[in-house]
Amino acid sequence: MLIELEGLSKIYEVGTQEVRALSDINMTVAENEYLAIMGPSGSGKSTLMNIIGCLDTPTEGSYRLKGQEVGSLDDDELAEIRSTEIGFVFQTFNLLPRMTAFQNVELPLIYGRAARKVRTDRVWETIDAVGLKDRAHHRPSELSGGQRQRVALARALINQPSILLADEPTGNLDSTTGEEIMQIFRQLNQAGNTIILVTHEQYIAEHARRIVRLLDGRISSDTVS
Amino acid sequence: MEFRETLLSSFRTLRSHKMRSALTMLGIVIGSGALVAVMSMIAGLNQSVSAQFQSIGTDIISVSKYPWIQMGDSEDFRNRKDITLADAEAVGRLPSVGLMAPNIHTRRNIAYGGETVRYTLVTGSTAEYETIDNYLVDSGRFITNLDDDRHRASVVLGADVAEELFHLRDPLGHDIKVGGKRFTVVGVMEAKGDIFGESLDDLVIIPITTFQKAFGRRRSVVIDCSPADGVSMQRTMEEIRQLLRIRRQVPRNDPDDFAINTQSDLVSGYNALTGVLYMAMVGIVGLALLVGGIGVMNVMLVSVAERTREIGVRKAIGARRRDITLQFLVESVILTGLGGGLGILGGSAIAFLVKAATPLPAAVTPTAVILAASFALVTGLTFGVYPATRAGRLNPMEALRYE
Ligand SMILES: Nc1ncnc2c1ncn2[C@@H]1O[C@H](COP(=O)(O)OP(=O)(O)OP(=O)(O)O)[C@@H](O)[C@H]1O
Ligand SMILES: [Mg+2]
Repeated sequence: MLIELEGLSKIYEVGTQEVRALSDINMTVAENEYLAIMGPSGSGKSTLMNIIGCLDTPTEGSYRLKGQEVGSLDDDELAEIRSTEIGFVFQTFNLLPRMTAFQNVELPLIYGRAARKVRTDRVWETIDAVGLKDRAHHRPSELSGGQRQRVALARALINQPSILLADEPTGNLDSTTGEEIMQIFRQLNQAGNTIILVTHEQYIAEHARRIVRLLDGRISSDTVS
Repeated sequence: MEFRETLLSSFRTLRSHKMRSALTMLGIVIGSGALVAVMSMIAGLNQSVSAQFQSIGTDIISVSKYPWIQMGDSEDFRNRKDITLADAEAVGRLPSVGLMAPNIHTRRNIAYGGETVRYTLVTGSTAEYETIDNYLVDSGRFITNLDDDRHRASVVLGADVAEELFHLRDPLGHDIKVGGKRFTVVGVMEAKGDIFGESLDDLVIIPITTFQKAFGRRRSVVIDCSPADGVSMQRTMEEIRQLLRIRRQVPRNDPDDFAINTQSDLVSGYNALTGVLYMAMVGIVGLALLVGGIGVMNVMLVSVAERTREIGVRKAIGARRRDITLQFLVESVILTGLGGGLGILGGSAIAFLVKAATPLPAAVTPTAVILAASFALVTGLTFGVYPATRAGRLNPMEALRYE
């Protein structure tokens, strides 16, 4: 099993108050699944994504990724997992503004310590795959929203991660552009990638084969179509 | 992350905040500039002073009314009794004294034909002055004992005076006017060059007895001498001191009312002077670097805060703590390194200006440059560590949520 969550909780302490963002989450995700997480605002979707993406660790319970317990890892080991196993796509793209598309896509390879020769070839390959070859040397501010999200997608894919995590990837895009991004996701899933995405939109969620719904930090339904 | 990438990325950031980067560098620029400028001037000072020291010689004792390096009230010195030619002769007769040359000085106009050299140093001395004060005769001869005994109006010309009065002609045997009195040129000295921009060749030397006859006796005599063979400087100086105290009737517990100067007095006086310069420099440089360093730390902390989200993104795509830390550290070191580079350029420019505009042969030394560069880099490292470590430790999730 790729992902195993058992009795997982996340509690934030804000001042003296405790905020239970996630409570007793039990769930598994197999390889090559295509999963959508839905739920009202504040229900814990992003929190769950961040834990799965090793940006944060659970307060209680266990998270095993490829059989390895993540809760016991230190900062650098988590960074290593993020580098090799996880690809992130954000609602707000989160590209580095002073770098070109090419440089943004190259960055995970640099952190992954790939040789320069390998990097250049891989970046071109990946940028080509998202259809942005002619925009490679543009900065994010010179690209449209859809193009930016493609750059972000290329950056997420460049290290060939086990899991692609997307937190409302179409949230800042119009429906046509969003649909184009979803086409790429579908192709990626067909090519064998595991995808987990958060969305508010039913029609986006329907691209996925499985939908998990959260309510107040708990799983309220888990359906496979 | 690869170092080259870190470097490029740092330059990108600094370039996008030109004004802020420039202001931050100011302290570092001033610090390293001051270091280079002051060290260059001290190097120049060393150079010209060591030339002067060499012209004096380590075994010369020079007894005079005024000490070479005066500390304290000059009124005191002026009220002292003059040293007489008789005092000098008594010193010369001491067994511990080898060579002795009494000398007195004034400034007069020197004239020949239509040419006049104004306000030139006129020295009255004896034949021994040639050896003790290290003069070399280029043509003719130096003054002799016979000149002195017979109060002859003989004169030896310094190279500058000979050049100005006679141009390319041979001065030997010609009569010139020294302070209105007629003298016959018997010799011309070799050029000695200049020190602190003042020529050592702008003088004439005449017999001391002639000097006194022509220009009066009411002048304190300087006694230049060296120890006899096999006698130490210390012993010679002590004997001179005792002799002069008796001759000048200095009461038992009073300090000497004359000065016994040696080259080592100059050296220690000089060292005291450069010591003060060095301390002042250390103060300025230390302060400037501290201020600069705090500025750098401040700017780096602001930079970390501004780029919290960027740090979150970098961590999300696989950056480790040390990747982030290194990036900010490199940025801070580049900042101070550029500041140091500008400071070195500025300091060198000051040194060149000083060299061109003053007699001080200021010289930029490699030591000064290396020191300034290292201080700048170390400041960047020291004051960059805290902000950089803080950046590296940011929790990726919180960094990403940062607005
Ligand atoms: N760092 C944090 N500190 C304190 N509380 C937090 C933090 N992160 C999330 N929360 C709280 O946890 C709960 C879940 O937040 P989360 O961001 O996961 O919701 P979400 O489902 O992604 O919402 P949305 O659809 O609006 O993005 C919310 O109540 C939120 O206020
Ligand atoms: Mg969210």
